[in-house]
Amino acid sequence: MRGNDALSARFDWPLFVGAVLIALLGVLNLYSATSVYTGPVAERYISQLYWLLGAGVVGALICAFDYRHIERFAYIIYGVGVFTLVVVLVLARDVRGSARWIEFGAFRFQPSEFTKLCLIVALAKYLHDDPKNEGRTLKDLVVPAIITAVPSFLVLRQPDLGTASVHVFIFLTIAAVTKLHTKSILAFLGTVTVGIPLLYKYGLRDYQRTRVDVFLNPEADVLGKGWHAYQARVAIGNGGFSGNGYLKGPQNQFLFLPDQSTDFPFPVFAEEWGFVGSVVLIALYVFLCLWSVRIASQARDRFGAVLCVGVTAMLFWHAVINVSMTCGLMPVVGVTLPLFSYGGSSVTNIMLGLALLMSVSMRRNVVRPERF
Amino acid sequence: MSLFVQRSDTSEFRRRFRWIALFMFLAFVGILVRLFQLQVVEHDDNRAIALENIVRRVTLATTRGIIRDRYGRVLAANRPSYNVYVVPRRLDPETTWAKLAGYLGLQQEERMRLEERIAKIRADEGPRRDQQILLKEDVSRDAVAELSANASELPGVSVVPVPVRYYPYAEVGAHVLGYMAEVDAEKLATLRSSGYVEGDRLGVTGTERAWESYLRGTRGWEKVLVDARGRRRQGGEEIIGSDARVDPIPGRDLRLTLDAELQVGIDKAFRGELAGGVAVIEVKTGRILGLYSKPSFDPNALSGASGKQVIRDAFRRLYTDPLKPALDKTVSGAYPPGSTFKPFTAIAGLDKGLIDQRASIQCRGFTKFGRRTYGCTHVHGATSLHKAIAESCNVYFWQLVSEYQVGMDVIAETGQRFGFGAKTGLGINAEASGRMPTRAWMTYRNKGRYLQGFALNAAIGQGATTVTVLQLGLAYAALANGGTLYQPQLVRAVETSNGTVVQEFSPRVRRQIPLDADNLRLVQKALKAGAQEERGTAFRARIAGVDLAGKTGTAQVGHRLVRGVEAERVWYFNRDHAWFAGYSPSSAPEVAIVVLVEHGGAGGKHAAPIAFKVIRTYNELAEKRGAAGGAGSPTRDAGARP
Repeated sequence: MRGNDALSARFDWPLFVGAVLIALLGVLNLYSATSVYTGPVAERYISQLYWLLGAGVVGALICAFDYRHIERFAYIIYGVGVFTLVVVLVLARDVRGSARWIEFGAFRFQPSEFTKLCLIVALAKYLHDDPKNEGRTLKDLVVPAIITAVPSFLVLRQPDLGTASVHVFIFLTIAAVTKLHTKSILAFLGTVTVGIPLLYKYGLRDYQRTRVDVFLNPEADVLGKGWHAYQARVAIGNGGFSGNGYLKGPQNQFLFLPDQSTDFPFPVFAEEWGFVGSVVLIALYVFLCLWSVRIASQARDRFGAVLCVGVTAMLFWHAVINVSMTCGLMPVVGVTLPLFSYGGSSVTNIMLGLALLMSVSMRRNVVRPERF
Repeated sequence: MSLFVQRSDTSEFRRRFRWIALFMFLAFVGILVRLFQLQVVEHDDNRAIALENIVRRVTLATTRGIIRDRYGRVLAANRPSYNVYVVPRRLDPETTWAKLAGYLGLQQEERMRLEERIAKIRADEGPRRDQQILLKEDVSRDAVAELSANASELPGVSVVPVPVRYYPYAEVGAHVLGYMAEVDAEKLATLRSSGYVEGDRLGVTGTERAWESYLRGTRGWEKVLVDARGRRRQGGEEIIGSDARVDPIPGRDLRLTLDAELQVGIDKAFRGELAGGVAVIEVKTGRILGLYSKPSFDPNALSGASGKQVIRDAFRRLYTDPLKPALDKTVSGAYPPGSTFKPFTAIAGLDKGLIDQRASIQCRGFTKFGRRTYGCTHVHGATSLHKAIAESCNVYFWQLVSEYQVGMDVIAETGQRFGFGAKTGLGINAEASGRMPTRAWMTYRNKGRYLQGFALNAAIGQGATTVTVLQLGLAYAALANGGTLYQPQLVRAVETSNGTVVQEFSPRVRRQIPLDADNLRLVQKALKAGAQEERGTAFRARIAGVDLAGKTGTAQVGHRLVRGVEAERVWYFNRDHAWFAGYSPSSAPEVAIVVLVEHGGAGGKHAAPIAFKVIRTYNELAEKRGAAGGAGSPTRDAGARP
């Protein structure tokens, strides 16, 4: 391997430090979120550390590896991802009304976390091979839309509305970065305005529709379906300006927060650290996202650029949807907070995404080899 | 341009990156605005909701005041009833249940019944599946000891002590003390403003009811922390803040004027008779030493520890028994006084100057009035006032009416002075006022026609005249003390739970009856003769060494059918009431005593012996206390507390 010295000199420290800070806050918060419990749940922060370290090692290998090798296998990676989703639909058992996991002995693996990356890779590959500097129309996005629709539909069937919509949002973000004609944008927006009510009426399961209803009218059913969303919001508000102090959030300590370690770690954090803490955490996510856009803008080829935009979109939408649903700006869907939520699949996926960003970033000015 | 070069040209995206960045930035700013709203603007509201989630105000039970007798013996107190609760879903039906049933000593039938109930709840899939049920109330102390010693083997089982009222003397004096019952929904509607809640017990009759507001005490409360699953959590003082607890105030204790040992003595003396009442009253204060009604009931069974079924059974007995155990026969029942009224007829005539104490009349065993013949008990021959009272001659008193103008209104006036026809003001139980009929009242009742026979009946305490045992006792106390009619006193003092006297009650005189001393002495002498001279009506019942003065009475009962009683037992309800009223000792009286044996028959045979026995007990108790020193001074007998 040539230029290894150069590579390490180009290590993207801001990206690394930003991610590490969020991950450390996440582990700290996870300790608090599960501190009420005894037994394996209380030790989740330790498993989380293991997952972070393990995924970090894999990530380091990916960084060392030129991301352009991935371009060659992009559609194969995508195919494998779609295949695992099909396997889930056929094999997986129900957990609380939906089947999202495949089990390997003691491990549970959630393919829909990884299909987001597979999708990004596939879209990057397609756009890499389809440059349209003179501008594009909606017709030019039909194939990417189909590439997106297949895994999205499979995930929706699990059913997992949150993850399915993240797939779609990633596609939309990537589409937004292409040079779409203004006319096409308007046509698209028009279709969406008509399409969403139809989707609500015919495309959603009953429980998904209730969630949307609860979101639209949260006060109507505080003790029933809206309970989680309501208590999460109360926890955030209870944090006040400076917070209740670490390990001292009553909504968390007294078990009023559901799924504190997976879907609702943010209210735990906001209750303990207050508005000040929330600003710090949000600022870290802002930094991570904007820095990643910057990496995308400096990518040395179209594949890298789209790859980075896709990963950034994934980080951004996860963070925005998760925080928004906890503070009542969106319906409750099972979308994790990057590097903050507990879960091996989620952590590994985010770490792999960050590794791809790092890989692109480290090679932004590397002299192009003769043949690639 | 080759595709290879084009692939490296990212200019298609170049202009869009900053828009994407701006969009992301604005989205996060939007979230921060929302967080500012929740955490800063609406913080107080959210804080309040969060506190409401976890802070519960738990009421702290208070303890009801203890009722003691004049010497400090406990008449009503509180004891823990140990109730066993189980969570059926956490109860192992094989091992744990078998052990539990063993410790509780469950009978086969009860065990099957409970087993069925537990199985039913275990099978329930709804929200009831985790509930706790009350398995058995008031288990024995042995069982409690076994359960707590083996608590680790009994998951899902808990023993909770609940305070219940305890009456150590059980049936003796139950009417005076009363009993407790759970407040019903109807009463609760009016009592809620005084702080009663569902499930509260309150005094239903007797002292428990009349002094409820003193006895009940004031509930306290405490703030505790409860998590979302309803479990109590320790700590969290900083969350609760300063107003965390208000201590309950225990109810006031009552010191009664009763003597519990005398009550027991009365109960013993009354053995052999089915129904009636006794009042023993201090003649110089109006304080009640003994107030006894028979048949009685066990207030322990009614007051709640042994479960709803026991209460229901006890109530059914209370209200279906033809002998009316629910009725307090000393204050709530009004009966014709019969001959025990004669001293008052005599005083009416003497004080008006209508009769001469030396005058005597001939009793031929009957008298004719109009076309009717009125019979005396036997032929008394020449009869003076003294003899007429001591030997209870009806003819003498009839002649007072027919020959000496001792008419209805004269009798009624004196009777009313002695407190007949009006409530005594005891303050407990529904008091009957009795009836002291006047000529106008009798005329009115007889549709405008007055008959002289009404006055003949009134002179010997028959007819429309009715009295309560307590009224008669107070009237005899007035005869004994020279004419002071007292208001009866049952509660001597109100005390705090540590024994400090809060309020003490002195005797209250209702009125001073204007009496001629000579006339009174004459009546007193006759009363003494009635119990102590050979021809006296109570002489045969006398007990050597018991210095009693008094008058027997045998009051006729209107013949009637009694509902709910079989024909062969009706004779009982048509038998005369037996009375004895008097005081002791005869020369310097201390106590007045009235004994009523309902449907007992002759007063001399059935009521007088009880009176002698009760006074004997009274004397023995006084002697015992005299020997112990500090005769009669009320002390607190802490050892008698359960």
